[in-house]
Amino acid sequence: MFPKLDPILHSELRLAVMSILAGADEADFTYLKKQTGATSGNLSVQIDKLTSAGYITVEKGFKGKMPRTACRITEAGQNAFRAYVEALKEYLAAK
Amino acid sequence: MEQNKEMTAQESLQLITESFNKSRKDILRNSAKYFMLWGVLLTVTSLAIWLLWHFTGNPQWNFLWFAMPVIGYPLAALIGKNQVAIPQNEMSKMLAGVWSVFGTFSLTLSAIAVFLVPMHVTLIIVIILGLAECISGVLLKNWPIIIAGFILGVGGAVFALLVKSDAQLLIFTLGGVLLLVTGLIMKIQYK
Repeated sequence: MFPKLDPILHSELRLAVMSILAGADEADFTYLKKQTGATSGNLSVQIDKLTSAGYITVEKGFKGKMPRTACRITEAGQNAFRAYVEALKEYLAAK
Repeated sequence: MEQNKEMTAQESLQLITESFNKSRKDILRNSAKYFMLWGVLLTVTSLAIWLLWHFTGNPQWNFLWFAMPVIGYPLAALIGKNQVAIPQNEMSKMLAGVWSVFGTFSLTLSAIAVFLVPMHVTLIIVIILGLAECISGVLLKNWPIIIAGFILGVGGAVFALLVKSDAQLLIFTLGGVLLLVTGLIMKIQYK
Protein backbone atom coordinates (compact mmCIF):
# COMPACT_ATOMS: atom_id res chain seq x y z
CA MET A 1 0.00 0.00 0.00
CA PHE A 2 1.53 3.28 -1.09
CA PRO A 3 1.23 6.47 0.95
CA LYS A 4 -1.15 9.00 -0.61
CA LEU A 5 0.59 11.88 -2.33
CA ASP A 6 0.09 15.20 -0.53
CA PRO A 7 -2.45 17.10 -2.71
CA ILE A 8 -0.99 20.44 -1.61
CA LEU A 9 2.39 19.49 -3.04
CA HIS A 10 1.14 17.48 -6.01
CA SER A 11 0.70 20.56 -8.18
CA GLU A 12 3.30 21.73 -10.68
CA LEU A 13 3.72 25.33 -9.50
CA ARG A 14 3.45 24.66 -5.76
CA LEU A 15 5.95 21.81 -6.06
CA ALA A 16 8.40 24.03 -7.95
CA VAL A 17 8.11 26.71 -5.26
CA MET A 18 8.67 24.15 -2.50
CA SER A 19 11.67 22.64 -4.33
CA ILE A 20 13.32 26.06 -4.56
CA LEU A 21 12.59 26.88 -0.93
CA ALA A 22 13.81 23.46 0.25
CA GLY A 23 17.31 24.33 -0.97
CA ALA A 24 17.46 27.97 0.07
CA ASP A 25 17.14 29.96 3.27
CA GLU A 26 14.43 32.15 1.82
CA ALA A 27 13.45 33.42 -1.60
CA ASP A 28 11.91 36.63 -2.86
CA PHE A 29 8.59 36.59 -4.71
CA THR A 30 10.35 38.11 -7.74
CA TYR A 31 12.92 35.32 -7.73
CA LEU A 32 10.24 32.61 -7.48
CA LYS A 33 8.32 34.28 -10.32
CA LYS A 34 11.44 34.37 -12.50
CA GLN A 35 12.37 30.76 -11.71
CA THR A 36 8.93 29.29 -12.25
CA GLY A 37 7.85 31.52 -15.15
CA ALA A 38 4.44 31.88 -13.48
CA THR A 39 2.28 35.02 -13.55
CA SER A 40 2.16 37.17 -10.40
CA GLY A 41 -1.52 36.37 -9.83
CA ASN A 42 -1.11 32.63 -10.19
CA LEU A 43 1.99 32.57 -8.01
CA SER A 44 0.25 34.63 -5.30
CA VAL A 45 -2.66 32.19 -5.17
CA GLN A 46 -0.35 29.17 -4.87
CA ILE A 47 1.79 30.87 -2.23
CA ASP A 48 -1.39 31.59 -0.25
CA LYS A 49 -2.32 27.89 -0.42
CA LEU A 50 1.13 26.84 0.81
CA THR A 51 0.94 29.43 3.59
CA SER A 52 -2.52 28.24 4.64
CA ALA A 53 -1.20 24.67 4.81
CA GLY A 54 1.57 25.90 7.12
CA TYR A 55 4.28 24.82 4.67
CA ILE A 56 5.79 28.26 4.13
CA THR A 57 5.80 31.64 5.80
CA VAL A 58 5.58 34.94 3.98
CA GLU A 59 7.15 38.12 5.25
CA LYS A 60 6.39 41.44 3.62
CA GLY A 61 8.85 44.28 4.03
CA PHE A 62 11.06 46.68 2.12
CA LYS A 63 14.48 46.38 0.55
CA GLY A 64 15.54 50.02 0.37
CA LYS A 65 12.47 51.73 -1.05
CA MET A 66 11.22 48.67 -2.93
CA PRO A 67 8.55 46.39 -1.43
CA ARG A 68 9.81 42.88 -0.82
CA THR A 69 7.95 39.61 -0.18
CA ALA A 70 10.17 36.90 1.27
CA CYS A 71 9.03 33.27 1.41
CA ARG A 72 10.57 30.72 3.73
CA ILE A 73 9.86 27.00 4.17
CA THR A 74 8.67 25.93 7.63
CA GLU A 75 9.62 22.75 9.50
CA ALA A 76 6.19 21.30 8.65
CA GLY A 77 6.89 22.18 5.02
CA GLN A 78 10.29 20.46 5.10
CA ASN A 79 8.73 17.33 6.61
CA ALA A 80 5.88 17.30 4.09
CA PHE A 81 8.33 17.80 1.23
CA ARG A 82 10.55 14.95 2.43
CA ALA A 83 7.53 12.67 2.85
CA TYR A 84 6.33 13.59 -0.65
CA VAL A 85 9.74 12.75 -2.19
CA GLU A 86 9.84 9.43 -0.29
CA ALA A 87 6.34 8.56 -1.54
CA LEU A 88 7.39 9.37 -5.12
CA LYS A 89 10.43 7.14 -4.79
CA GLU A 90 8.23 4.30 -3.54
CA TYR A 91 5.92 4.71 -6.52
CA LEU A 92 8.83 4.66 -8.94
CA ALA A 93 10.57 1.74 -7.25
CA ALA A 94 7.38 -0.34 -7.47
CA LYS A 95 7.16 0.17 -11.24
CA MET B 1 3.82 26.68 -15.28
CA GLU B 2 0.32 25.45 -14.46
CA GLN B 3 -0.89 24.64 -10.97
CA ASN B 4 -3.49 22.07 -11.98
CA LYS B 5 -1.50 19.97 -14.42
CA GLU B 6 -1.75 16.28 -13.57
CA MET B 7 1.80 15.04 -13.03
CA THR B 8 3.15 11.53 -13.00
CA ALA B 9 5.57 10.47 -10.23
CA GLN B 10 8.40 10.64 -12.74
CA GLU B 11 7.48 14.18 -13.81
CA SER B 12 7.18 15.32 -10.19
CA LEU B 13 10.61 13.96 -9.29
CA GLN B 14 12.08 15.55 -12.40
CA LEU B 15 10.49 18.90 -11.55
CA ILE B 16 11.89 18.75 -8.00
CA THR B 17 15.40 17.92 -9.23
CA GLU B 18 15.34 20.61 -11.92
CA SER B 19 13.99 23.36 -9.65
CA PHE B 20 16.36 22.45 -6.84
CA ASN B 21 19.42 22.32 -9.11
CA LYS B 22 18.48 25.49 -10.97
CA SER B 23 18.21 27.47 -7.76
CA ARG B 24 21.42 25.93 -6.35
CA LYS B 25 23.29 26.91 -9.52
CA ASP B 26 21.85 30.44 -9.35
CA ILE B 27 23.04 30.83 -5.77
CA LEU B 28 26.57 29.61 -6.44
CA ARG B 29 26.86 31.55 -9.70
CA ASN B 30 25.92 34.63 -7.68
CA SER B 31 28.72 33.88 -5.16
CA ALA B 32 31.13 33.70 -8.13
CA LYS B 33 30.57 37.42 -8.80
CA TYR B 34 31.99 38.32 -5.40
CA PHE B 35 35.06 36.10 -5.89
CA MET B 36 35.68 37.90 -9.18
CA LEU B 37 35.12 41.36 -7.67
CA TRP B 38 37.58 40.78 -4.79
CA GLY B 39 40.01 39.04 -7.15
CA VAL B 40 40.15 42.05 -9.46
CA LEU B 41 40.43 44.45 -6.50
CA LEU B 42 43.25 42.45 -4.90
CA THR B 43 45.15 42.20 -8.20
CA VAL B 44 44.81 45.90 -8.99
CA THR B 45 45.57 47.08 -5.43
CA SER B 46 48.63 44.87 -4.97
CA LEU B 47 50.03 45.81 -8.39
CA ALA B 48 49.41 49.52 -7.81
CA ILE B 49 51.06 49.46 -4.37
CA TRP B 50 54.01 47.44 -5.63
CA LEU B 51 54.58 49.81 -8.57
CA LEU B 52 54.27 52.91 -6.38
CA TRP B 53 56.55 51.46 -3.70
CA HIS B 54 59.04 50.14 -6.23
CA PHE B 55 59.41 53.40 -8.18
CA THR B 56 59.24 55.86 -5.27
CA GLY B 57 61.01 53.73 -2.66
CA ASN B 58 58.38 54.79 -0.12
CA PRO B 59 56.76 51.93 1.86
CA GLN B 60 54.03 54.31 3.08
CA TRP B 61 52.09 53.36 -0.07
CA ASN B 62 51.11 50.22 1.86
CA PHE B 63 48.44 52.33 3.57
CA LEU B 64 46.54 52.00 0.29
CA TRP B 65 45.61 48.45 1.40
CA PHE B 66 43.05 50.02 3.68
CA ALA B 67 41.35 51.51 0.60
CA MET B 68 40.47 48.00 -0.60
CA PRO B 69 37.57 47.36 1.82
CA VAL B 70 36.46 50.99 1.45
CA ILE B 71 36.02 50.44 -2.29
CA GLY B 72 35.13 46.73 -2.18
CA TYR B 73 32.20 46.69 0.25
CA PRO B 74 30.17 49.47 -1.45
CA LEU B 75 30.86 47.82 -4.83
CA ALA B 76 29.69 44.45 -3.48
CA ALA B 77 26.55 46.11 -2.13
CA LEU B 78 25.97 47.75 -5.52
CA ILE B 79 26.24 44.40 -7.32
CA GLY B 80 23.63 42.95 -4.96
CA LYS B 81 21.33 45.94 -5.36
CA ASN B 82 20.98 45.84 -9.15
CA GLN B 83 19.60 42.33 -9.48
CA VAL B 84 16.65 40.13 -8.58
CA ALA B 85 17.44 39.05 -5.01
CA ILE B 86 19.18 35.69 -5.27
CA PRO B 87 18.56 33.52 -2.18
CA GLN B 88 21.27 32.16 0.06
CA ASN B 89 21.86 28.52 0.94
CA GLU B 90 24.16 26.73 3.36
CA MET B 91 27.02 26.61 0.86
CA SER B 92 26.91 30.32 -0.08
CA LYS B 93 26.67 31.25 3.61
CA MET B 94 29.69 29.09 4.46
CA LEU B 95 31.71 30.61 1.61
CA ALA B 96 30.73 34.12 2.70
CA GLY B 97 31.63 33.18 6.29
CA VAL B 98 35.09 31.87 5.35
CA TRP B 99 35.95 35.03 3.41
CA SER B 100 34.50 37.37 6.03
CA VAL B 101 36.73 35.70 8.62
CA PHE B 102 39.70 36.08 6.26
CA GLY B 103 38.89 39.77 5.70
CA THR B 104 38.50 40.46 9.41
CA PHE B 105 41.76 38.68 10.31
CA SER B 106 43.80 40.40 7.58
CA LEU B 107 42.44 43.85 8.29
CA THR B 108 42.91 43.56 12.05
CA LEU B 109 46.41 42.07 11.78
CA SER B 110 47.44 44.73 9.25
CA ALA B 111 46.20 47.48 11.57
CA ILE B 112 48.03 45.91 14.52
CA ALA B 113 51.22 45.56 12.45
CA VAL B 114 51.07 49.18 11.32
CA PHE B 115 50.02 50.85 14.56
CA LEU B 116 50.96 48.56 17.48
CA VAL B 117 53.28 45.58 17.05
CA PRO B 118 55.44 45.21 13.91
CA MET B 119 55.12 41.73 12.45
CA HIS B 120 55.67 39.84 9.19
CA VAL B 121 52.14 40.54 8.06
CA THR B 122 52.69 39.41 4.44
CA LEU B 123 53.66 35.94 5.66
CA ILE B 124 50.63 35.64 7.93
CA ILE B 125 48.12 36.99 5.42
CA VAL B 126 49.36 34.86 2.55
CA ILE B 127 48.98 31.74 4.73
CA ILE B 128 45.40 32.56 5.72
CA LEU B 129 44.61 33.62 2.13
CA GLY B 130 45.78 30.22 0.89
CA LEU B 131 43.84 28.52 3.69
CA ALA B 132 40.62 30.39 2.84
CA GLU B 133 41.05 29.50 -0.84
CA CYS B 134 41.71 25.85 0.09
CA ILE B 135 38.60 25.68 2.33
CA SER B 136 36.51 27.21 -0.48
CA GLY B 137 37.77 24.45 -2.77
CA VAL B 138 36.85 21.80 -0.21
CA LEU B 139 33.34 23.26 0.17
CA LEU B 140 32.89 23.44 -3.60
CA LYS B 141 34.43 19.97 -4.03
CA ASN B 142 36.78 21.43 -6.61
CA TRP B 143 40.34 20.06 -6.75
CA PRO B 144 41.91 22.84 -8.88
CA ILE B 145 40.78 25.42 -6.26
CA ILE B 146 42.08 23.24 -3.39
CA ILE B 147 45.48 22.83 -5.08
CA ALA B 148 45.66 26.53 -6.01
CA GLY B 149 44.95 27.48 -2.38
CA PHE B 150 47.59 25.07 -1.11
CA ILE B 151 50.22 26.36 -3.55
CA LEU B 152 49.34 29.97 -2.71
CA GLY B 153 49.50 29.40 1.06
CA VAL B 154 52.58 27.19 1.26
CA GLY B 155 54.45 28.57 -1.76
CA GLY B 156 53.55 32.13 -0.79
CA ALA B 157 54.84 31.61 2.77
CA VAL B 158 58.20 30.33 1.48
CA PHE B 159 58.37 33.23 -1.02
CA ALA B 160 57.55 35.76 1.73
CA LEU B 161 60.35 34.36 3.92
CA LEU B 162 62.94 34.24 1.13
CA VAL B 163 62.19 37.51 -0.69
CA LYS B 164 62.77 40.55 1.48
CA SER B 165 62.08 43.29 -1.09
CA ASP B 166 58.85 44.99 -2.18
CA ALA B 167 58.46 42.13 -4.68
CA GLN B 168 56.77 40.23 -1.81
CA LEU B 169 53.59 42.08 -2.76
CA LEU B 170 53.42 40.14 -6.01
CA ILE B 171 52.21 37.14 -3.98
CA PHE B 172 48.98 39.06 -3.47
CA THR B 173 48.74 39.75 -7.19
CA LEU B 174 48.89 35.99 -7.68
CA GLY B 175 46.29 35.60 -4.91
CA GLY B 176 44.00 38.08 -6.68
CA VAL B 177 44.34 36.23 -9.96
CA LEU B 178 43.52 32.95 -8.17
CA LEU B 179 40.38 34.48 -6.67
CA LEU B 180 39.35 35.71 -10.10
CA VAL B 181 40.00 32.26 -11.58
CA THR B 182 38.02 30.65 -8.72
CA GLY B 183 35.08 32.91 -9.60
CA LEU B 184 35.39 32.00 -13.27
CA ILE B 185 35.55 28.27 -12.45
CA MET B 186 32.39 28.61 -10.33
CA LYS B 187 30.64 30.51 -13.12
CA ILE B 188 31.45 27.71 -15.57
CA GLN B 189 30.78 24.88 -13.07
CA TYR B 190 27.34 26.26 -12.20
CA LYS B 191 26.32 27.51 -15.65
